[in-house]
Amino acid sequence: MKSFLLTVFFVGVISLGSAQLQCANQELNIPKDWIDMKEVCINKMRDQVTEELRASMQYMAMGAYFSKDTVNLKGFSDMFFKSASEEREHAIKLISYLLMRGELTSKVSDLIKRNLIPKTTTWVNGVSALKDALKLEASVTKKIREVIKVCEDGSSFNHYHLVDYLTGDFLEEQYHGQRDIAGKISTLEKMHKDHGALGEWLFDKKLISGEV
Amino acid sequence: MKVFVILSLFCVAAIADDYCYQDVVGACSKTANKHYSAVLNCSAKYGAIEKVQPALQQYINHHFVRSFEYLLMSTHFANYQKNRAGFEKLFRELSDNKWHEGIEMIKYLDSRGGEMDFNRIAEDVAKEEEKERSFELYELAAVARALDTEKKMALEANSIHSEATRKNINFHDPEISDYIEKEVVHKEKDLIRKLAGYATDLTNLLNKQDSSLSLFLFDEYLQNNKLF
Ligand SMILES: [Fe+2]
Repeated sequence: MKSFLLTVFFVGVISLGSAQLQCANQELNIPKDWIDMKEVCINKMRDQVTEELRASMQYMAMGAYFSKDTVNLKGFSDMFFKSASEEREHAIKLISYLLMRGELTSKVSDLIKRNLIPKTTTWVNGVSALKDALKLEASVTKKIREVIKVCEDGSSFNHYHLVDYLTGDFLEEQYHGQRDIAGKISTLEKMHKDHGALGEWLFDKKLISGEV
Repeated sequence: MKVFVILSLFCVAAIADDYCYQDVVGACSKTANKHYSAVLNCSAKYGAIEKVQPALQQYINHHFVRSFEYLLMSTHFANYQKNRAGFEKLFRELSDNKWHEGIEMIKYLDSRGGEMDFNRIAEDVAKEEEKERSFELYELAAVARALDTEKKMALEANSIHSEATRKNINFHDPEISDYIEKEVVHKEKDLIRKLAGYATDLTNLLNKQDSSLSLFLFDEYLQNNKLF
């Protein structure tokens, strides 16, 4: 009798089961030995995702400002919008790295928060925006160095591969990018001193044609 | 409220009456201060942009909010346990799309003499933050979430469109309504249809004991097919 009841119960469960959709997959049993990133380093990387996105939205505000009809500097605007998308790509690259190392299997939902509203949204002129951009890049560089420092901690666990990636790929791009912006500031500021609006207008057109 | 109405009426009148040319003549006349620094009334603003601007600003910010959410959903499918490269790609495409459409819409707003305000966000979207929401969803649930999101986006476009088509001289603006139609409404229709189709397929495919093979094949299909 008991076994009959049990059978009825099981059949009931199975038919119930087939009445609904099989949406989720089964639990997996995959060895975890290969997952070796340490919490401090992971958290630093997660924070850096936010930093990159924050920089992205700051560039977005620059792009928006310089395409206004009363500002009308399309070269600047296009350059900043492009930078905004590049910063977003950096965030995605960091996420991809964590995924490659077996991370981000949980706590993904709060990886990006809604705290990315740009602080500055107007600029006196092109030079001042470029100077802000250079400061922004310098602060991002500093943050990446901090990630490297934490992830390199030799005494506990050295994340060799990540440190190499951040150094060879991210810092490489930071340093080249910073030099490029600094050069632009230099060229523009020299013209701006005596030729104000004309210097800026000319520089903007050169930006569009990729000549500066 | 009354003061606000009167003020905004005044603004409309001011925009309609002050001309760039008059300002220019004033600024260029011999008697004028040679170091003329006041802003001339020579903006690109006309028609309903002043009225529609707040809604457009909101809409743009919602694009970025959704873009980041789609990115999180994509991330979830890319972890080694989910390992669904097709779903990862689907949500990445959605994220990229919202991102780039957002940028294009800022350019559009600026092209109409407007300006972006990154703080403006709809009350219901702002309220979403109060509850804890997960973006780590299984396949069908993620498609369902995307479908709902896109419908909301489409309806928001409809409401902007209705603002721009009101038969009132201060609101009627065929250029804005046409932009919304061409650049948003039709594209949203296609996207919603596609997502609804995916939801149908998945619902049919998952309606049996073991869904793992169905999901594997559907994921492979997504890997090989573009959303846009
Ligand atoms: Fe970056």
